[in-house]
Amino acid sequence: MLGAFSSEWVKLRRRSMLAWGLGGGLLFTVLATVFTIERATRFLTPGLHHGPRVTFAELEQPNGLVHGIVDISNLVGIVALCLFAGAVATEYSQGTLRNLLVRQPRRAQLLSGKFLALAAFILIAVALSIVVASALAFALAPGKGIDTSAWTSSTGISDFFAALFHVYLACVGYGLFGTALAVILRSPAVAIALGVAWVLPIEAIIVGAIWSGGDRWLPGQLLSALAHGGTSDASYSHALVVLLVYAALTAAGTLLLFARRDV
Amino acid sequence: MPALETAGLSKRYGERFAVDHVDISLPAGVVSGFVGPNGAGKTTTILMLLGLVRPTDGTGQVLGHPITDPAAYLPRVGALIEAPLFYPTLSGRRNLEVLTRLGRLDRARIAQVLEQVELADRANDLVRSYSLGMKQRLGIAAALLPEPDLVILDEPTNGLDPAGIREIRELLKGLTERGITVFVSSHLLAEIEAICQHLVMIDKGKIVFQGGIENLLAAQQSALIATPEHAKDVPALIALCEQAGKEASADGESVRVQSAADWAAELNRAAMAAGITLMGLQATRASLEEAFFSVTGALDARSL
Repeated sequence: MLGAFSSEWVKLRRRSMLAWGLGGGLLFTVLATVFTIERATRFLTPGLHHGPRVTFAELEQPNGLVHGIVDISNLVGIVALCLFAGAVATEYSQGTLRNLLVRQPRRAQLLSGKFLALAAFILIAVALSIVVASALAFALAPGKGIDTSAWTSSTGISDFFAALFHVYLACVGYGLFGTALAVILRSPAVAIALGVAWVLPIEAIIVGAIWSGGDRWLPGQLLSALAHGGTSDASYSHALVVLLVYAALTAAGTLLLFARRDV
Repeated sequence: MPALETAGLSKRYGERFAVDHVDISLPAGVVSGFVGPNGAGKTTTILMLLGLVRPTDGTGQVLGHPITDPAAYLPRVGALIEAPLFYPTLSGRRNLEVLTRLGRLDRARIAQVLEQVELADRANDLVRSYSLGMKQRLGIAAALLPEPDLVILDEPTNGLDPAGIREIRELLKGLTERGITVFVSSHLLAEIEAICQHLVMIDKGKIVFQGGIENLLAAQQSALIATPEHAKDVPALIALCEQAGKEASADGESVRVQSAADWAAELNRAAMAAGITLMGLQATRASLEEAFFSVTGALDARSL
């Protein structure tokens, strides 16, 4: 597995991967932070403001530093889904999987090593995004009149690392979903399209129109709850436990399919 | 111990057998050709031997290990399967590094194999800038990375110019001098004839011949090529041969006679007696291509 992990890093160091993988998450978190702070208002007057806004009071909480980042964690997760799905499915579509399997015929080790390498890459991407976005928040907030003293309190620092952990964990979940789609569908475009469609419009339609309880059981909804550290619809512990069960089943099924299928 | 052997190896897709109960025994240390027309089952057989495709029936062994346990033998096998496929936005060197790291191989092998296939000067260029011939050579380099005991090459001369083909031929000869077994699949019979000592011939999923190439060619009927001084004498010369019970046909301004070489003197005397002067008379050996069509044509006739 170490060989597969190390081998995958040669591919991840490509300029295109660095640009899309690191740049995608960075772009979303930076934009989210900028918009959150720029659109923050001292008081919310119903009917006066267009679009979602936060108040100064909310941002001045210990977790205010990561408010914008956590709000768009879904998008960061989708970047992870695309990265994992693309990296795995491309091996099928461009035919390189055969070369890899001749050098590492233990298929479970190959896929696991590849997954862990991608998970490590995403950790760097998420950490970089949150650190850069946080630095930007510190730079912009005083100019807007937002008090940032709570951000550097012990609670604030704890909230910062908790957000990093929750968002990263959610990204790994999105990545596992992307990996499963890639192994099943063997096409990067189809895997990405189906994955994005599921976690965005399809689950929203199911929850909104068919099954209101879906926000406690559908994987995309639970990943979002996980990234937020829990929501009013799904607590953190509920989301974590259910997602661990889904992850175990998904991982087992994906490994079995990858191991047994002709290449 | 054979380098590889199969017993009743089969792959079925629905009702169609892509590989139909093939029994192969490949001696160690030879260059063996695996020939057959497109769609005969060559690549599918190779994929089963490499553990990439699950057989429907039968068994196989590679380097003494069952094909159900590819991890036991693939570290000693190098393979180039169909078209050489690499990561286009990585250099040739980096592509080999991917495989070296994956197989926990000595990274010094990268420079060595690049030298062997004469790609060292382009190693740092992206693979998407490579010609087909360069990609082919990179594929062979990748196959040589693990210092294999068995090398399986599927169409290794595809896309190469004559100089490149000769280089590959020399490379393969060098491998067998070091005791490495080479199993070369191709539909270019002339190349196989030039390179290989041993042959496995497959058609419509079934093995139609395996053994020494010389055995196959010796079993084929040789021919005499007789060239009359005047082209107008070709029909008369054909008739003369047929009267003697020999099959003959026009071959440009010559006559091709299916006959052993020792009938040349008799033909010469008969032609002279008939007033036909021969300006050329030579015995030829059947080529591998002729042998292939002879064997597969005979099978087709039997199945009618």
